[in-house]
Amino acid sequence: MNDPDRLEQPWRLWASVAILSVFAFSVLFGFVLMPVMQGRAAGIDAFEAICRALGITPGSPAARQPTTNAKAQPATRVAWSADLLNSLTKATAAGESLAGSCAGCHGRDGRAVEVKLYPDLAGQSAAAIYKQLHDFKTGSRPSALMTPMVQALTEEQMVAVSAHFAAFPVRPIPAAQLPAAGAAIEGLVARGDSGRGMPACNACHGDQSGGPTEAPRLSRQSREYLAAQLRAFKTGERRNDIYSRMRSVAAPLTESEIDGLALFYASTRTY
Amino acid sequence: MPISEEIIVRSELRWAAISVGVVSVIMIALIYAGLVHHINPPSNIERIDPKTLHLGGEFTEANLGTRVSGDGQVTSRIVATQFTFQPRCVVLPANRRVTLRFATPDVIHGILVSGTNVNTMIVPGYVSQVHTVFTRTGDLLMPCHEYCGLGHSEMSATVRVVPPDEFKPDAEGRVACDAR
Ligand code: HEC
Ligand code: HEC
Ligand SMILES: [Cu+2]
Repeated sequence: MNDPDRLEQPWRLWASVAILSVFAFSVLFGFVLMPVMQGRAAGIDAFEAICRALGITPGSPAARQPTTNAKAQPATRVAWSADLLNSLTKATAAGESLAGSCAGCHGRDGRAVEVKLYPDLAGQSAAAIYKQLHDFKTGSRPSALMTPMVQALTEEQMVAVSAHFAAFPVRPIPAAQLPAAGAAIEGLVARGDSGRGMPACNACHGDQSGGPTEAPRLSRQSREYLAAQLRAFKTGERRNDIYSRMRSVAAPLTESEIDGLALFYASTRTY
Repeated sequence: MPISEEIIVRSELRWAAISVGVVSVIMIALIYAGLVHHINPPSNIERIDPKTLHLGGEFTEANLGTRVSGDGQVTSRIVATQFTFQPRCVVLPANRRVTLRFATPDVIHGILVSGTNVNTMIVPGYVSQVHTVFTRTGDLLMPCHEYCGLGHSEMSATVRVVPPDEFKPDAEGRVACDAR
């Protein structure tokens, strides 16, 4: 019954033939037929197309692209490197001594002395603080009070003071409750508005959002400051966000949505 | 009661036929897209530093959008960023060879232009380049088709294809959506 010369299962032979022919077809199709037929449409001859498909000759070389003659005016001059992001996580003594000159407005512990006039820095992400300081300094975000404050700061000092303020705990929610912002506003925060092509605010703002590095924490910032910044983005008065990330979101907001969003973030600790 | 071997074999064959069928349908769809819709793999590699994309060179904000160079070559440069395109609308002429160039400063994105063969990934560190000829005029949707974060679903742009005689570059060779 067990004939050693005979395959135990005859289908093994057919299976091997099937696999080999699929393989042969793929090679023929992927390296010969497809490139030749596609190359014809792009004006590439058959031999060249096969060589390209096999990787023997390179594809169309990268042509040097003409750039604009206008001088580049980047929205910001900040470039995030791994070293920079690393250094922003370390609070240092240098940061503490520099922070003294900020205390008059932003408070010793990063809680603004007058929230209607100055933003809180406590608990803000260090990357966000650093980005704004850098932009105040280079003029990407002009500000009557802040631009002169940061002129004398070096790169290392900006990093140090950012790390210093980021380490403080956020201001607690005030005892007097603010009114609720309403379901429409919470919808904008959590889901955005696809009718207007607006991503949710918390796609970018929030500790674990996975959005842009420099997106600041918004919760517990004052209503007045948040609303003022949203209006400035909407009108284009503030334009230091890389590739219009924030301007493109603020542009379609209505005045009452701006007030509602400012109220929402001023009265929540979640984001 | 034990199932007879014959029944097991028949069931195995049935399922094997279904899986071979599914794989074949997918392969045929790929071959069809490659041959009929001219979906090609990228033909060259071009690197660019994503960290300094915005600071100078080709992909600074001032240089984005459609531009016609001196030799009549039409190029549109677009940056894909979380969660928008910059610019959000580009104008291109119909029935003329155009080049689209993409880059991103943050994460992997991807684009396709609906109803055309334009379809590419946009990977940080590389320039994605596509040559094509648009044959239909009108506003074509260009969504991001590679999950890039929580706002991905709102990330889309418009490619406005106009008849060649309505494609009028300004003195600098630029054409923009809102300028028309
Ligand atoms: C004279 C008051 C004053 C002093 C002192 C001051 N700031 Fe400010 N700061 C402001 C004001 C006002 C703003 C809001 C800017 C605007 O609206 O243009 C601001 C904004 C900021 C912002 C942007 C915050 C955000 O979320 O957008 C940062 C960061 C900042 N200051 C850091 C500092 C640091 C660090 C120091 C110390 C080196 C400092 N400031 C000293 C008044 C001050
Ligand atoms: C695509 C990502 C993104 C989305 C979505 C987004 N933002 Fe922003 N936002 C940013 C970035 C990035 C900044 C920092 C801008 C810069 O670089 O200076 C910012 C800044 C801000 C600021 C200024 C805060 C400060 O301390 O200076 C406010 C206020 C703000 N966003 C509110 C909102 C609101 C409200 C929404 C939802 C309607 C929203 N953002 C949606 C990315 C986003
Ligand atoms: Cu995307």
